[in-house]
Amino acid sequence: MKKSALLLLVSIVLASCVSGEPKPLQLNSDACDFCKMTIANGQYGAELVTQKGRYYKFDDVACMIHFATSNTVVPYKAFFVCDYLMDNALIPAEKCYFLKGGSINSPMHGNAIAFTSKKEAQDYQAKYNAVLLSWKELYSSY
Amino acid sequence: MKNVSYIAYFFFMLPTLMANTIHVGTQYPVKSIRQAITLSKDGDTLMVHKGLYREGNIVINKKIVFLGKGYPILDAQKKGEVLSVKADSVVVQGFRIINSGFAALDDPCGIKVYNRTFARIYNNRLDNNFFGIYLQNCTNSIVKGNTIVSHGTQEQLIGNGIHCWKSDNLQIIGNTVSGHRDGIYFEFVTNSVIWRNISTENIRYGLHFMFSNDDSYITNLFKNNGAGVAVMFSKSVKMFNNTFEENWGDSAYGLLLKEIADGYIFNNKFIKNTTGIYMEGTSRIKVEKNDFVSNGWGMKIQASCMENEIVNNNYLKNTFDISTNGSLVLNTFNSNYWDKYEGYDLDKNGVGDVPYHPLSLFAVLTEKNASTMLLYRSFMITLLDKSEKVLPSITPDNFVDKTPLMKSLPL
Repeated sequence: MKKSALLLLVSIVLASCVSGEPKPLQLNSDACDFCKMTIANGQYGAELVTQKGRYYKFDDVACMIHFATSNTVVPYKAFFVCDYLMDNALIPAEKCYFLKGGSINSPMHGNAIAFTSKKEAQDYQAKYNAVLLSWKELYSSY
Repeated sequence: MKNVSYIAYFFFMLPTLMANTIHVGTQYPVKSIRQAITLSKDGDTLMVHKGLYREGNIVINKKIVFLGKGYPILDAQKKGEVLSVKADSVVVQGFRIINSGFAALDDPCGIKVYNRTFARIYNNRLDNNFFGIYLQNCTNSIVKGNTIVSHGTQEQLIGNGIHCWKSDNLQIIGNTVSGHRDGIYFEFVTNSVIWRNISTENIRYGLHFMFSNDDSYITNLFKNNGAGVAVMFSKSVKMFNNTFEENWGDSAYGLLLKEIADGYIFNNKFIKNTTGIYMEGTSRIKVEKNDFVSNGWGMKIQASCMENEIVNNNYLKNTFDISTNGSLVLNTFNSNYWDKYEGYDLDKNGVGDVPYHPLSLFAVLTEKNASTMLLYRSFMITLLDKSEKVLPSITPDNFVDKTPLMKSLPL
């Protein structure tokens, strides 16, 4: 009984290590793990979590994708991107709608921005003259 | 007779050709700047007298000289842009420009020049703007003697002091910038010079180059910025006589070089930075006659760098002179002065008789495992370092200065 309780406790503790929740980007203090630039704009940022629970932070979605594709050894758990309309709020990348190109100007010229809702993305699509993409399409576009 | 009529015609036309000066101020008939701009013609001078002008966004769409006398204040009251220049050959001089809007989406500025040539921005004082001076797609323009201050905080979004985008032939001279995101920012700017500016206490970089080729920055001071200076993705950038001072922090570097080629770093001073120069993906750069004093790391040269020449520099009082992350060495070190050199010079030619290995064992260890820093200056580490100096095993043995100097260079 005691043993199983201990096992449960240990597994809970271990499980909480890798929560899969994004860690907020500390603007102007965290550096991008790909391009070394200090992350200064919470609209274009991105974050990646590995299976082992290590966090990598990026100033541009393109940096995250370049970083992810350059490595084939470490398995990833989750990708997060910043919602363009909220200041520095990370959301899961698979659920996002992306706009790329046009007059969008991101820190490392990946020139992609993320929206939570498709409607918002479509609203900005005409304004920026950009292409609407899903996460998968964006991932393979760099 | 014909000549006389020409001369008469000339005198007749003279008043219309002559540029007028329009005075703006409380004691003059024209009270508002907007009204004065509407009244003016190309070539006129607008003399704005001392006072507070709250006219929102002021657009200059004619070739005029826009002068302030006694620093008149243009206040946008936190709504939008203060001064927009939308004509060629405009001079803006002697204004105090304050309180642009703060918005993330449309980047409001103190002064913004749109797609123009021969803009002259002289001796203005900008305070509390989102962006300071923004040159968008401009050529042959000069930004000189401006003081640009903002009050950005660590958490807040803020623009750059002097932001130049897609421009050519710019001169950025004698400006003072502080409290912005990047003091001076160059993106797609070519054939330009940055001379005698002071960039301090900016939140990110004192100076930031992105995709900007064939530029020089000379005799500038970059002090106490969040992350120093960054030169990235650029070719043929010359860096002379600058001072990089007190850029402290985990990801702060005196000078961060990333993906750049064919530059020349000459006669600069790197004082009290976490890392003097950090190089990654850098090739064919010559680093000559620089002072590296009291830095945590003098230089960090990543293994992705090649064909760089490090010649005639002084390394004084640094915790580590050089550090690297791999065993591949494709760079050359010649005739530098290393204060940690313990060799001798029997033939008294000023050059040490034994080669110097600037890469210490401990620098390699801390690069691999940062927490070993705890053991720094312990007896065992000193012992290991000494033995490594004699017989390099972990550190790459071709990481060597074969002609180390016995005396520091007078720089």
